Amino acid sequence: RRFPDFSYITQNGRLTDFLDCVIISHFHLDHCGALPYFSEMVGYDGPIYMTHPTKAICPILLEDYRKITVDKKGETNFFTSQMIKDCMKKVVAVHLHQTVQVDEELEIKAYYAGHVLGAAMFQIKVGCESVVYTGDYNMTPDRHLGAAWLDKCRPDLLITESTYATTIRDSKRCRERDFLKKVHETVERGGKVLIPVFALGRAQELCILLETFWERMNLKAPIYFSTGLTEKANHYYKLFITWTNQKIRKTFVQRNMFEFKHIKAFDRAFADNPGPMVVFATPGMLHAGQSLQIFRKWAGNEKNMVIMPGYCVQGTVGHKILSGQRKLEMEGRQILEVKLQVEPIAHADAKGIMQLIRQAEPRNVLLVHGEAKKMEFLKQKIEQEFHVSCFMPANGETTTILTNPCIPVDISLGLLKRETAIGAAPDAKRPRLMHGTLLMKDNSFRLVSPEQALKELGLAEHQLRFTCRVHIQDPRKEHETVLRVYNHLKGVLKDYSVQHLPDGSITVESILIQATAHSEDQGTKVLLVSWTYQDEELGSYLTSLLKKGLPQSTP
Amino acid sequence: YRDLHTFELQAPTRLIEWARGNRVCVAGYGQCDGNEILQLIPPPTLLTKETQGLCPERDFKVECGGFSERPVYSLKYVPDTSLLVTSGPPDSSLQVWQVSAEDSDVIKSVSTIATENGTGQSWAKIATISARAPWVLHGSRLDRVQITEVESRKNVYTAAIQGNEELGSLAFLDCNLLLLCCATGQLCLADTRQPQSLVEAVPAPSAPCSEHWCMGTRHAAQGSEPSSQPVARLSSRGLLALTDLRKTSEFLALAKARVPSPGSGAEFLCVSWAPALEGYLAVSGFDGTVHVYDTQSWDSSGKEAEPIFVHKGHIFGGAGGSRDPPLVTVHTWHLQKPRTLLSAASDGSLHVWDWVQPCGKC
Repeated sequence: RRFPDFSYITQNGRLTDFLDCVIISHFHLDHCGALPYFSEMVGYDGPIYMTHPTKAICPILLEDYRKITVDKKGETNFFTSQMIKDCMKKVVAVHLHQTVQVDEELEIKAYYAGHVLGAAMFQIKVGCESVVYTGDYNMTPDRHLGAAWLDKCRPDLLITESTYATTIRDSKRCRERDFLKKVHETVERGGKVLIPVFALGRAQELCILLETFWERMNLKAPIYFSTGLTEKANHYYKLFITWTNQKIRKTFVQRNMFEFKHIKAFDRAFADNPGPMVVFATPGMLHAGQSLQIFRKWAGNEKNMVIMPGYCVQGTVGHKILSGQRKLEMEGRQILEVKLQVEPIAHADAKGIMQLIRQAEPRNVLLVHGEAKKMEFLKQKIEQEFHVSCFMPANGETTTILTNPCIPVDISLGLLKRETAIGAAPDAKRPRLMHGTLLMKDNSFRLVSPEQALKELGLAEHQLRFTCRVHIQDPRKEHETVLRVYNHLKGVLKDYSVQHLPDGSITVESILIQATAHSEDQGTKVLLVSWTYQDEELGSYLTSLLKKGLPQSTP
Repeated sequence: YRDLHTFELQAPTRLIEWARGNRVCVAGYGQCDGNEILQLIPPPTLLTKETQGLCPERDFKVECGGFSERPVYSLKYVPDTSLLVTSGPPDSSLQVWQVSAEDSDVIKSVSTIATENGTGQSWAKIATISARAPWVLHGSRLDRVQITEVESRKNVYTAAIQGNEELGSLAFLDCNLLLLCCATGQLCLADTRQPQSLVEAVPAPSAPCSEHWCMGTRHAAQGSEPSSQPVARLSSRGLLALTDLRKTSEFLALAKARVPSPGSGAEFLCVSWAPALEGYLAVSGFDGTVHVYDTQSWDSSGKEAEPIFVHKGHIFGGAGGSRDPPLVTVHTWHLQKPRTLLSAASDGSLHVWDWVQPCGKC
């Protein structure tokens, strides 16, 4: 199967009606390779969103891909050059952090993903529900690309690639050391090094590395850069300078990227020169053009070396040698002994995935993976550390995620004022509990005082009154007991209004206390404590206070 | 260096154990919950004996992992089974885990081997062997050494040895002979067929002071006597004593490693013999370096020895400045590649390095 089975999306009806939009995360063919097929052959006329660099680079790769598949391998039923052009006409380019309104309900936003030039992660939002799809990303900054970054957008779901989660990467320093060592060894024994590059970033990174090394080690072997590369690269850099990291931007401003002391422009005749040299040439996958020509000349000699960028489309020579083929048939002739080194493109490892989840704070995580049984450990790790649900559906499997929508509630000013007046004002570190009544009426939610709610609903207010009996040992007459209680309470409850009424009862604020003699035992007095629901706290406190008994010394 | 790889683990480890198929196991020793046990597949360069000219991959891959509630101080695979055993504070019990990489990538906790926990006991040191059944030798103190059958958790041997000294390390010489190294430096030889007494006790190389000792043993080649391999003992002051078990009345050699003073304690002392190089051993745990020594030129004088190679990589890795310099927590030799070692430090770094024999030596 060359292209994905798009009938997974919908079995009936047109894709244009069913889908609101299509989003492409970056220019790698495993993410955009089926786009012209999808839009022009299956049929989709809706908007296609991608970042500006992706829009500029995609058509080039798609055309290369088409050329290899159709012209070289003779495939039919493939998209044409015109289809690529028609497809790209449907593309709407977006900027980073720009909120794009796809329709009245759906909005999308692109975030920087690192990985390759123009790669983005996308936040997709409808109302207050959102999903973030990461595509391929990298959390460790490169020499020429920064690290992926998400704000605390708290999406309901984060969909992330997890195939490389099990990798623990060798440090950059060691990789570079190894690369330079191997280039050095090759050049020292008189061999030639071919570095096929696509045009951006990687090439410049390696150039800077080699230039510094050559200077330090005082090496004399020539380093060449093919001119086609220079023009294209400069052009792209000028367009997309904001997509690279700070360091490169500074370097570009200070000098033209290709003004290196040790690196010169290449002429195809040089490939036949004897002696050691290093050459950067396009295209990156060794499928045509200058890099393939040079490769043919040099691959047979075991003193020579090829350094691959680590990503090649199936069918290209690059892909073949990356998969380990050492003997290649090129127009009938056999070539042996291809020695090579690979500079892989950075993907997120387990640490990176955990970092991204920590940044974005999603409520759920979904892992896009190779094999389910190889992801169980990561799933548990994520669930344990972040206390979120983690899903790993297989192709064709539907996962249902429950979201907690946010419902806005208006609070009445009167209630707010009243609650603020009681006690200390709440602050960010010490929230206070407040009481109110939630009214749901006419699709709106309001928080009002209970009295107002009753009024609006036309309900009568009920009064709740509690009465409690406290037994006190006191053989004296009732009114003496009352006096004792009154003095005691007056002494303890200094901030409250304690009153002794002429009818023999005591009031504490609005709480009523009366004393009667016990029906069967004259030595015991029964205190009746009575309060309304609103005075619950004070009432309970009073009751427990009285249950402790009266102090002996009170007269 | 011939080759150097540096990696950063999410959490530092104090153990590096080899498993079947050239797998490497590391584990976290943090005080909080959620320590991970990771079984790793090394990069292809390390899987083969010969260093291939050029290899595309330089990364470790996590093959499977497990979660431990307690810090993991020691871990040993149980030969001929899919089990491994761990130990760590707060007590001397052992945790048994199952690794089944083909079915799932989770290392599952299977059972616990409980031990009698007296007061003041620390974590158990462990060693494993596949004898009549898979056995684990464990204990935190000399008088609490026992052998337990891993699957049935039955006790097979309990030493009735006097002495409550803390153990530095222990090892099986073969399925009957046990080697126990006390933290005081005393080396004890025990026989499982005679639990009541020790076969032999070899005193510590120096007068007891506040030094702490550990040992390193070397596996004998198939067919040769286990006690033919010299035992190395390392103290927290840097003293190295080599003993031949067939002639314990004297030292095979005595030397002093160059270590910074004051010492940084005995927490991560580690000494190990090179499996593929005769007479070479490596020492770490004093600072951020690993020293490699050729003991063939040593005598019994106890003078300072010159290392053949010093790996300083861990010192340069860290953020530098404010924090304490990293301390190497453990090192181990590659089983086939003669000059390749793996070392880990307290900052989470994991290095794999292949040192070059300095010129002038054959």
